[in-house]
Amino acid sequence: MRPLDWGVLAASLAGIVFYGLWRSRGSRTTSQYLLAGRTMPWYAMALSIMATQASAITFISTTGQSYADGMRFVQMYLGLPLAMILISAFAVPRFHASGVYTAYEYLEKRFDAKTRALAGAIFLLSRGLAVGVSLSAPAVVLTVILGWSSVWTTLIMGILVAAYTVSGGIAAVTWTEFLQMMVMTAGIIAALFTVVFLLPDGVGLPEALAVAGAAGKLNATVWRFDFNDQYNVWSGLIGGMFLALAYFGCDQSQVQRYLTGRSVAQSRLGLLFNGVAKIPMQFFILFTGAMVFVFYVYTQPPLVFHPEAMRALEQQAVYGQLSQEYGRAFQARRDAAVRLDLDGFRRAQAEVDEVRSRALALAGKATGQGRVNDTNYVFLWFVVHQIPAGVVGLILAAIFSAAMSTISAEINSLATVSMVDIYRRFIRRDAEDRHYLAASRWLTVFWGAYAIATALYAQNLGSLVEAVNRLGSLFYGTLLGVFVLAFFFPRTGGTAAFFGMILGEAVVFAVWHFTGLAFLWLNAVGCLVVVISGNAIAWARRGAQVRA
Amino acid sequence: MNPHDERPPFGGSWGRIYAGLAVYLIALIALFTWFTRSWNR
Repeated sequence: MRPLDWGVLAASLAGIVFYGLWRSRGSRTTSQYLLAGRTMPWYAMALSIMATQASAITFISTTGQSYADGMRFVQMYLGLPLAMILISAFAVPRFHASGVYTAYEYLEKRFDAKTRALAGAIFLLSRGLAVGVSLSAPAVVLTVILGWSSVWTTLIMGILVAAYTVSGGIAAVTWTEFLQMMVMTAGIIAALFTVVFLLPDGVGLPEALAVAGAAGKLNATVWRFDFNDQYNVWSGLIGGMFLALAYFGCDQSQVQRYLTGRSVAQSRLGLLFNGVAKIPMQFFILFTGAMVFVFYVYTQPPLVFHPEAMRALEQQAVYGQLSQEYGRAFQARRDAAVRLDLDGFRRAQAEVDEVRSRALALAGKATGQGRVNDTNYVFLWFVVHQIPAGVVGLILAAIFSAAMSTISAEINSLATVSMVDIYRRFIRRDAEDRHYLAASRWLTVFWGAYAIATALYAQNLGSLVEAVNRLGSLFYGTLLGVFVLAFFFPRTGGTAAFFGMILGEAVVFAVWHFTGLAFLWLNAVGCLVVVISGNAIAWARRGAQVRA
Repeated sequence: MNPHDERPPFGGSWGRIYAGLAVYLIALIALFTWFTRSWNR
């Protein structure tokens, strides 16, 4: 990193934190601290919602995924606009009218305390597992690529986030996310323009598109239906809609964003803006990854992008032979690309892929990881080694912003649910508002410290990190199901909803464990089981009461 | 006016805005399909 990059990175992060603290000064009540006094305008909520969703690892991985697998990942978001419509129409007015602080508080008004407690506990468990990973995953990648200590990266990000989240509450989180989203957008635009600008003379956009397309990187839509493949139009529209419904409609880290709205209309506009902007944003991030692929068609990339794996590979006896094979395959691919001989290019691409596959397997054996997946390292490698001074700082600021926005929202929502759904409901029911404000701040301190501690521990867990992250999404369908029962089935009571949730969770875990069903569909399965079993239990209870 | 019946700042009604977003989604899918068929060969 050059001094200019350090300057851009430090100025961006400091500016964001001070702006958030300045906008959130004077939070003196629990309502101001947890819901910004319900005064937020739609544009702040809109960017805050998008920033919460975009984590650093999404930012880094999405470009790498496009480099390796093409743009089909964009289809995962096709259901999102439909979910925004349904949440705006059905959830937002209900949450606003009931005056709740959390989504789970609404469940007690509609059902009973045990259903609220179970939903709150599921949220605390799933988000609590994820928050350490949100902090540690970018730290690990930045450490490997930049050589920074992962402990220091984790501590700097964690302490900065905890400081402004504790100090300013949701208002600080929302206004920092507002700026963080702008920095992320600037970072994406800068990266895309830079990679296109860096393509060699004679390679314009039409040639770049032809080469990327010949390698199968521009597969933005796949119409073939397959239950075991999450990236096609159908799973994106249906499974993606259920995922977005659950995430935006039942996850407090998102619900809390639009509960801060000054009116139903402002909250709806914030959500609908996300429905408009999210897919194009993902498209351009993925397109950047495809253009990075094209750049490396003309400039030889490393055999393996993961620096530690590459060092291990270099110690192997067959490395010299692999390296020569890779050089020849790369040269053949570049020559074919220059001639725009697309058939020859595809053949050479298959050879490059085959050599890389062997190298990744060998590197995996050498490092004891089984098989190395280096897609998370592609984009950062490109940024650090190819991009000019100043722009590197901006892109790293965008990655840090993505990490911090997700973590602050998670810490803030975990503290809110702990305070409102557990402490104020079950432990200390009749204290003054001043007491609950202090409790909210201390719980935010607790969750901030917890995030840092689990992030430092998670760095030693290796592949378990990914497993834990995936486990978190096993709970969404069940949460969605209980809210569908609450909104649309007025004759279903608390006991039926409670046992429906338990059954739904059991079925989701069974399906996940025993079948190869793509993850996106688990949200639909969990939701349907809760709705069907909840109604069946309610019907059976009504029958029993009639007979009695 | 009940704040939950508040009209949107543009478009006339929420129903029209939701329909507009649905049409926008269809247009995006059509555009992505054109993009894929034009270049991904």
